[in-house]
Amino acid sequence: MIPAGPDPGLSLEALTDAADRANRLQRVTDLLAEALTPQEVLDAILTEGLRAAEARAGAIGILSEDGEWIELLAQRGYKGPILKEWGRFAVSAELPMAHVVRTGEPLFLESLQARNELFPNLEGSGRDGHALAVLPLALESGVIGVIGLSFGDDMVFSDERRKMKITLARQAALALERARLFEAEQAARQRLAFVAEASELLASSLDYEQTLARLTRLAVPRLATWCAVDMVGADGGIERLAVAHEDPEKVKWALELQERYPPDPDSPHGVSFVIRTGEPDFLPELPEAMLEEAIGDDEELREIVGQLGLRSSICVPLSARGRTLGALSLIAAESHPPYTQADFELATELARRAGIAVDNSRLFQEADKGANAARALAYVADGVVLLDRSGFVRHWNPAAATITGVSEDEALGRRVESVLPAWESLVSHVQLVRPDDVLARPVTVPITLQGRELWVSASGVDFGEGAVFALRDVTDEQALEKTRSDFVATASHELRTPLAAVYGAVRTLRREDIELREEDRLAFLEMIEDESVRLTKIVDQILLAGQLDADAVEVELEPCDPAQIASTVLDSASLHVPEGISLRVEANGVRPILCDANKLRQVLVNLVDNAIKYSPKGGSVEIRLAAENGEFRIEVADEGLGIPSSERERIFEKFYRLDPQQSGGVGGSGLGLYICRELVERMNGRLEVDSEPGKGSRFIVALPAGG
Amino acid sequence: MRTEVVQPSRHLPARPTVAAGRRIAWRCGPSDEVEPHLLGAASPASRASKRVLVVDDESSIRMLCRVNLAASGIEVLEADNGCDGVELVRREQPDLVLLDVMMPGLDGWEVAQRLAADPKTSRIPIVFLTARAGEEDRRLGEELGGVGYVVKPFDPVQIGNLVEEVLTRIELGERDALRRGILDGLLEPPS
Repeated sequence: MIPAGPDPGLSLEALTDAADRANRLQRVTDLLAEALTPQEVLDAILTEGLRAAEARAGAIGILSEDGEWIELLAQRGYKGPILKEWGRFAVSAELPMAHVVRTGEPLFLESLQARNELFPNLEGSGRDGHALAVLPLALESGVIGVIGLSFGDDMVFSDERRKMKITLARQAALALERARLFEAEQAARQRLAFVAEASELLASSLDYEQTLARLTRLAVPRLATWCAVDMVGADGGIERLAVAHEDPEKVKWALELQERYPPDPDSPHGVSFVIRTGEPDFLPELPEAMLEEAIGDDEELREIVGQLGLRSSICVPLSARGRTLGALSLIAAESHPPYTQADFELATELARRAGIAVDNSRLFQEADKGANAARALAYVADGVVLLDRSGFVRHWNPAAATITGVSEDEALGRRVESVLPAWESLVSHVQLVRPDDVLARPVTVPITLQGRELWVSASGVDFGEGAVFALRDVTDEQALEKTRSDFVATASHELRTPLAAVYGAVRTLRREDIELREEDRLAFLEMIEDESVRLTKIVDQILLAGQLDADAVEVELEPCDPAQIASTVLDSASLHVPEGISLRVEANGVRPILCDANKLRQVLVNLVDNAIKYSPKGGSVEIRLAAENGEFRIEVADEGLGIPSSERERIFEKFYRLDPQQSGGVGGSGLGLYICRELVERMNGRLEVDSEPGKGSRFIVALPAGG
Repeated sequence: MRTEVVQPSRHLPARPTVAAGRRIAWRCGPSDEVEPHLLGAASPASRASKRVLVVDDESSIRMLCRVNLAASGIEVLEADNGCDGVELVRREQPDLVLLDVMMPGLDGWEVAQRLAADPKTSRIPIVFLTARAGEEDRRLGEELGGVGYVVKPFDPVQIGNLVEEVLTRIELGERDALRRGILDGLLEPPS
């Protein structure tokens, strides 16, 4: 046993010794003060600290967070792998270090024997051991760890020596705590910096898919070995948006793995669980059993998982406004330290921000889409009116303004009935459909809007938050449709009547039960002939009108003599002119003109036929030809019924016929004058009419002079 | 305006311009009175053969009816417009009217309405003889009290039988059944 030395304070040697110890302690204190990281603190204790304490070896253990365990973090001077053997032991164990942690009091064992007395359970172990000093690393808040110092021989621990070692331990504890706080602060600072960087990234673009992909790359390797983002797809399925790993090769691997082993939607962990429940899934340590269960008998998968070296995982929901939009997964593997509560909180914060960014981006896209739709509606020919549930106008496009005569400014934000009193009668017949119903069936209603009589086709869709109506002004279509159906009726009548005569005449002529008089027989034959001619004319006119509509009538302009054409027209008319009508041509200074002779003949035949037809009381029908004011005029004049001024332009409309009462009941296809005007205009001319009811009409064909 | 009144034994050529028939000018209106001396009006009871009035602006149709009805021993009256038709029915009290629809002036629908509105003519059966083949036209014909609806072109050889059948069935009290038949197209002759 080494003597504890002479009484300190009594000799120079002792004084020198004490000063030396104080110096050594001072060095340790300085070193500890400079140490920034826990590792530096441990290093300082186990080098200068050991020297100051005159110890042969030392070990430092730290109390686990739950206070149940002591983990040996560092040692110096011991032989053999004691960190591995003693790496972790329970606070409750009958060991000197555990004892000190339990009591918070230093323990000085001056010999192996003293140790064995106190810890009989250790008898036989560490046979060549000697004195032992075990000191708590204690702060005011409690014990955080323990230092064990082993000495090369049995020792007598004087008060001074004890105090010195206790001081050393206290300083070590303070330094360790300071370093831990510093490290935590550094980590927090890094996390903050990371969150700031991530936030900036998330705010940088509205393309959230791209942004989230960049976020995964930002998280690797600082926050994770692997980082992935999965989104809930439109169909409710899980879609992997991005995955990142330091090594691009491994990214391919992960994607392939995802494809080959799609996540089980009912899995109690991971992405499926998080998206299904909206709850985070934090596994600081991936349980072996879980991996085993996931792998099953799949040897290939086992190998892949083994190579991935998964350690710990965090999966947190990306959510906004109560909806889970996706999940952010972080995996610590290989050399990445396992995740702590702080990492989990960071991941949660990151996911919260990403969720908001995704939501914003989607809202913006929706709003943008809405704005685009509203802009597009400005160009739609149909009136579009959007009403909210209370009947206030929310949208009123330019076509709606045109149809209703109410401007957008007047309509927006007001009740539709106050904007447009006729609204109720307009939409009362409209059957509102739901968006997922069959297509809205438009209803066509006649309505007076701002003094205008219109036909409006309206349909509507009720989408819950309001209703949208489409309005179309179909007044022109309606008029055309009326004309068309009138024509069909007219054409049918016009064809059926001569057909009835032909058919009836033939049936009557073939009667064998009666003997027809000779005059009747001849009259029926004549009837067949006349009515056949009439049928042909009607059919020709319908065809010609159709060709004119299709612009399929060719006009060949050649120099021709209008006087000669007029003469031939009157010559053939004279063959069937009724009694009491005289036909005449009057030509002054006639020169050749440029026209299509056949077409001009057709026009004149028609005009002369009309003149005869509308002169039931006889009179003269005259064709006058004259060059006048640079044009050539051909007039067909009669002394017949004339045309009321209100009808003068309408007679040129297709299918239009004079009121039979005003025309004396003269029938026709309603196409003759329409055809005439079309033909004349194709010869670069005009067809006009001048008339005095009761005194006759004058149709004027004006063609360009010369040629 | 012309009205031809033709006895079964007489006939007129088809062309109105050279027609030699008696011309009578009618004024047309609700208060119009026809001078009774112009035609010897006979009451239905005083004659043996049936009399039919044909109202049509087409002379060929009138001629077809005239010749074929005469062959069945039916007396034929003619009018070439609605106004004259109404007046002739009032005065002549024919057994039946063959009525065209699309005519200048008063059309066939209006003629039927006026006849139905006048107690003196409301019971005289009307058979429409028209080029209007639409279903809606048939319905209108039925609504206006028609007992027959013949669409042109028609078989004039059958027209005498048709008139006889209609008159017989009306005597048997089947007027309403005849009207319903319009809608079924029952009286349409084969064509």
